[in-house]
Amino acid sequence: MPIHYPRAMLRAHRLHPIEIWGPPHVARHEGNRHFQTYACDIVVKAMAFIRSGGIDATRAILVPHTCDALQGMGSVLTDFVRPHQRVLTLYLPRGRRNSDRDFLRDELGRLAQTLVGVGGHEPTAADWAEAFEAEDAADAALANLYRRRTELAISDRDFYTVVRSREYLTAENFCERAATLPEGEAPRHGAGLMISGIVADPLELFDRIDEMGAHVAGDDLACGYRRVYSPSNEHDPLLRTVNRLMSCPPDPTCGTPIHERVETLQNRMRALGAKGLLIYDPKFCEPELFDVPLLRKHLNAAGFPVLHVEHEMGEALPHQVLSRIEAFVETLS
Amino acid sequence: MSELEALPHYVDSTRLERFVNYELVGKSALRVQRWRDQWKLKRKKPRPESPLNPPLQCVAYMKEIMSRHYLEGRYASGTRKVAWVTSGAPTEPLQALGYFLVYPENHAALCGVRRQAQSIAEEAEHAGWSRDICSYARTDIGAMLSGKTPAGRLPRPDMLICCTNICQTVLHWYRVLADYFDCPLVLIDTPFLYQEAHDHEKIEDMIHVAEEIAGLPLDQARFAEVMQNARRGAELWLDVLNRSQNRPAPMTAFDGFIHMGPIVDMRGESVTVEYYQRMLRELDARVARGVGAIKNERYRVLWDNLPIWFKIGEFSKWLGEHGVNVVASTYTYAWGELAPMIDPENPLDSMARVYLHPILNRSTGHKLQSMKKMVDEFQLDGVILHSDRSCKPYSLGQIDQRDRLSKTLGVPALLLEADHNDPRDYSDEQGANRLEAFIEMMEARA
Repeated sequence: MPIHYPRAMLRAHRLHPIEIWGPPHVARHEGNRHFQTYACDIVVKAMAFIRSGGIDATRAILVPHTCDALQGMGSVLTDFVRPHQRVLTLYLPRGRRNSDRDFLRDELGRLAQTLVGVGGHEPTAADWAEAFEAEDAADAALANLYRRRTELAISDRDFYTVVRSREYLTAENFCERAATLPEGEAPRHGAGLMISGIVADPLELFDRIDEMGAHVAGDDLACGYRRVYSPSNEHDPLLRTVNRLMSCPPDPTCGTPIHERVETLQNRMRALGAKGLLIYDPKFCEPELFDVPLLRKHLNAAGFPVLHVEHEMGEALPHQVLSRIEAFVETLS
Repeated sequence: MSELEALPHYVDSTRLERFVNYELVGKSALRVQRWRDQWKLKRKKPRPESPLNPPLQCVAYMKEIMSRHYLEGRYASGTRKVAWVTSGAPTEPLQALGYFLVYPENHAALCGVRRQAQSIAEEAEHAGWSRDICSYARTDIGAMLSGKTPAGRLPRPDMLICCTNICQTVLHWYRVLADYFDCPLVLIDTPFLYQEAHDHEKIEDMIHVAEEIAGLPLDQARFAEVMQNARRGAELWLDVLNRSQNRPAPMTAFDGFIHMGPIVDMRGESVTVEYYQRMLRELDARVARGVGAIKNERYRVLWDNLPIWFKIGEFSKWLGEHGVNVVASTYTYAWGELAPMIDPENPLDSMARVYLHPILNRSTGHKLQSMKKMVDEFQLDGVILHSDRSCKPYSLGQIDQRDRLSKTLGVPALLLEADHNDPRDYSDEQGANRLEAFIEMMEARA
């Protein structure tokens, strides 16, 4: 489950992660047997997917403590649903103090112990080294994709299809896919947008933005740029994992102060030539909703218009959402 | 213009203003008001048509204590250091350092009880905060932006203490406050207990910042005294709540919601200990005389989650008319059940334990076990689970909890959709229909 988790640790234990961000083609009703209507789609649809056998082939479900909704999901899975998979939890501290680092190291140590039971494999030093090498390469490939965005001759939809393939591909397959993207001038036109939020679903959104005469200059998405981690050379695998997780860009679910988030967004928008910020959130996402008025206030003061739209995660984009984005794009143009 | 300049209602007071308006005039006026209230309560004759017995006499003291607290708050800026704290934050060191404490959640509840929450929350909504975020947060952000408050005026914080043992919402909410007030935000990060506890809290960090802002070191003797009061106050509060194990119960959970003010806002103060001693004496007298909170207690019910603040009086009366006494609540219990963990001899370690273990920081399965225990101990006939749109950590899991209660224990359980502070999220008609069906379920089982 979203957002931040230790990929190399899973690999060292010979486990491969597949992420669930509110899967498409899944009705909410199985999830509604456990969660109220005001729970976010990611949690409700993930529960529906689990209950309908969508991940029966997996050995464990890892629920990082990202927000109150995912906390509830982890707890309900553990206490009531009790799927055949092991339910694993990971508390991610919201601060960046030494005490937070120490805690996270211990928490990761606890998770590693549990993973031995899940994967049936106790990693050797060589396993850890191999896992970090592979996952660091994939992290670097993702960062490189963002750096080279204007030099890639692919549409925004294709770009984000590749970015999001990190959610299910192995590190090697992701690197290979990223390396084979055609170089050339990016087919971009119109005003550049920065897109923020949790997940830009469905990918059709990018086609529609393109049709409106705009392009996505960059993102601040939880499923995208917020997972561009910095590499670490720390020898101890747990500390190295701590360094990776704590190096993510500003993220409200990690407790980043709002002024830091605003400053980073402003700098990136200027550097990428974005004219405005589109905040695109699934319904009922409190961590995102709290920041919206202040992002709007501070970014407007810096000359960047902001549009906030909420959507219910489904197969089609609601017309009302598209109309609002279209009107926003027109003002930018 | 700085953020603070945009909030002109946060003004400093002088020591003279505080002395005259609070110490000299205010406290005396509130005492006189209490005498008047007591006089009225003593002469209040039981109304035959009311399903409720006369209210507890001690309510007059509680009003005085809480009003005095908020009145002092009006003149705190400029005369004392002020900390805004979450309801589950470890505040004992701050009290020992002389801070005036503001509990925004309690303030929001006050707005809810006075039925001002919606209009104040709309101030936040007009400024862009979504109706889908917690209504406490919207109420307080609205009050911060507009200065509207039934408390007269709130003091500006010198520091913010956010403890995540009640929800992650407070983290996001306090980040907003920090942006406006431009003051230090100390995060007490408590890992959610899916199962067992892990140490994480560093209360020492908070104490260092608080000492620096206050400009003085923590007085260990005063700290020990506060801890003693905190433990005694929590023990007494637990005793108060447990008196409702008697039949008939001498108070309702709705009384508990109102009388929990001192243990939330002033735990660690001697006035809180004195108040709950007084309340306990009155409850014991009621128990001895066989006087219940309602006249005809046919069904005894548990309330899960926060109250619906704007409906407390109506619910109490409506349920009383149907012979239902809501005798216990998981919410009010949260401020008492951890009393045995408080160890004044070992303050920091015991605080870390206590503040890690509130019901809201524990698993959905643990909450179910707590409810089962209360069903037994309070001899309950049913459970109302308030599905509180604003409080996701409390509410997510309730569907399974309800199913287990009704299917495993055979206890009628109702999921009641509402919100703790926003009347727009509660429908009277639907609520009454569901409550009537719930009462029928209890009747069928009797």
